[in-house]
Amino acid sequence: MIAINGESISILLFFVGVYGLIARRNTIKSIMSISIMQVAIILYFITANIAPGSVPPIGDVAQSLQVADPLPQALMITDIVIGIGVTAAGLTMFIHLYHRFGSTNWQKIMKKRNHHD
Amino acid sequence: MINLHWLILLPIIFGTVVKLIPLKTAKKLIVLFQAALLLSSAMIFIEVRKNGTILENIGGWPDTIGITLRADLLASAMVLLTCLLFLAMITFVQNKHYADHLFFFLFLSLESLIVGIFLSNDLFNIFVLIEAATLIITILIMYKKANVAIYDGMMYFLINVVAMSFFLMGLGMLYKKIGVLDFYALETALSQVKDPQSLILPYAFMITAVSLKAALMPLFSWLPKAHGTPSAPSVVSAILSGLYVKIGIYLFIRLQTAFLPLIDTSELFVILGFITAIVGFVLAFAQNDLKLLLAYSTVSQIGLIMIGINMGTPHAYWGGLYHIMNHAVFKSTLFLTAGMIITEYQTRNMNEIKGVFRHMPTVGVATVLSILGIVGAPLFNGSISKYLISYGSTGTWIEYGLIFINLGTIIVFVKYSQLLFGDSNKKETAHSDILEKAVVLCLSILCFLGGILGSALITLLFKVNFPVDLLSDGIKLLLFLASLLIGILIYYGLFKKKNYFAVFNSIELGFNEICLSITLFFAFMVVYLKITL
Repeated sequence: MIAINGESISILLFFVGVYGLIARRNTIKSIMSISIMQVAIILYFITANIAPGSVPPIGDVAQSLQVADPLPQALMITDIVIGIGVTAAGLTMFIHLYHRFGSTNWQKIMKKRNHHD
Repeated sequence: MINLHWLILLPIIFGTVVKLIPLKTAKKLIVLFQAALLLSSAMIFIEVRKNGTILENIGGWPDTIGITLRADLLASAMVLLTCLLFLAMITFVQNKHYADHLFFFLFLSLESLIVGIFLSNDLFNIFVLIEAATLIITILIMYKKANVAIYDGMMYFLINVVAMSFFLMGLGMLYKKIGVLDFYALETALSQVKDPQSLILPYAFMITAVSLKAALMPLFSWLPKAHGTPSAPSVVSAILSGLYVKIGIYLFIRLQTAFLPLIDTSELFVILGFITAIVGFVLAFAQNDLKLLLAYSTVSQIGLIMIGINMGTPHAYWGGLYHIMNHAVFKSTLFLTAGMIITEYQTRNMNEIKGVFRHMPTVGVATVLSILGIVGAPLFNGSISKYLISYGSTGTWIEYGLIFINLGTIIVFVKYSQLLFGDSNKKETAHSDILEKAVVLCLSILCFLGGILGSALITLLFKVNFPVDLLSDGIKLLLFLASLLIGILIYYGLFKKKNYFAVFNSIELGFNEICLSITLFFAFMVVYLKITL
């Protein structure tokens, strides 16, 4: 029996994103799938290795309390920024792609691209 | 000697500041700056060569906590190569119309990021740098804003982001098990792990991403599109194909070394490299587009390098590393000359380009020298590394496989060299830019020097000594001449009239299919590791 915790859910979410990448032809849905994968990774990082009852490592924490590992959280702040950047860049490129090829379907865009060549 | 982090920061800072200076002066300043950077990277290399690895903890944190930069011999040699190639590229674009402030900013930032990836010792740091580099490369691919390039750029961007998501997921799992993200600490920590089964998932995730970056067999379909995009500036193609794809190989070497005590997949990757090499040259031969042919040939050479570094013998390993350097030199020369030929003839179709030798003599000479390098002609750099790889694999089936791969490379470049001969229907010689000619000529002479001074260079770069006889090895020479003859015969006998491989051109993977192949590769790695461990 697989426990329902952050780790298993994040792996599930990750592969939901992968499924979206494989099965959806829509460019926007591909970008959304990448975002889903990113969220899954963030969830994985901050829930892995966490002890129940630990407090976040913010400000002065009393010595007696157990503090969560600060490193994954610091890393994930960076990753959130990267994720937003990637999504924004992807969507901007999509606007250009749509203007040039007039379609949101990968298959159709590919055909038109080869026609251009 | 400057600190390591300046090597990473200076190009970005300079690229930003230069925006304040008028373009004409700025271009010259950038060349000077790049020369200074090359000099300082050479000084760092000498320092590493003399006194061993340099380790720098940024921010003064103790080891394994903060970000560390680490310059060992391999890393500093790669940095030296990076600075050299960028100097050549920046000299090359001096008189190009697309070289404006923004281009130089992006180009210099790319240099910083590449140097950063080579020097970085922290896995998460590498992830961040690669993501940033992906974005910059995408913009550079799309730089001329042609329709085709926008599709290719977006494809490149999304595929690489997906791959890096796999990498980050693997990194998370690795951190959960081991608790460190530092390469050096990783090696120590992994040697303590008793049960290799628990590392299957993180390893499979990370190696999938790295294999995609290195463009191994099922995962290379993004590379020709990105490297051979018709409208991308030729310097960008040259850097991508000559240098950037080596980052995948570099990371692969680092990961394999870290995981070696637990997970040994070198046999699998020898086979994958072999398949990659063969598929690469078959597809290269099928192309009629100048740049696409070169891009597929890169795939083939990557396969060769993978065979070398996974063979497990010192000769093959160092031969593979030397081939990384060599391939960087001759492939970037070939891309630059291809760019010049395309600008002159206004077409990318190989059948329409004739008589480059007579029409553009300097470009012709540079092309011939680098072709001799890539096919491994005696006295040229390719022959040294290919000889070392085949020496290291003596007694296995790979030894004969390598002869076959080299034969394939020869056939591809016999086809490529067709554009050198014949009559161009143009009266006088072309007026190419003098700087461009100088750069391609210098780089192609490097191919020759890398062959003549082969063993000395290997000793200088990697501190290992392999005596390589240049001509006394008669078998090597005979083998090359025989393959050359057979290659020419096969080309003129079979393929001159009809390109039988052209059917492969119709097979093209879309975005969804590439994602599927990434997932399948990942699944295959998991199953393979489950069975073998």
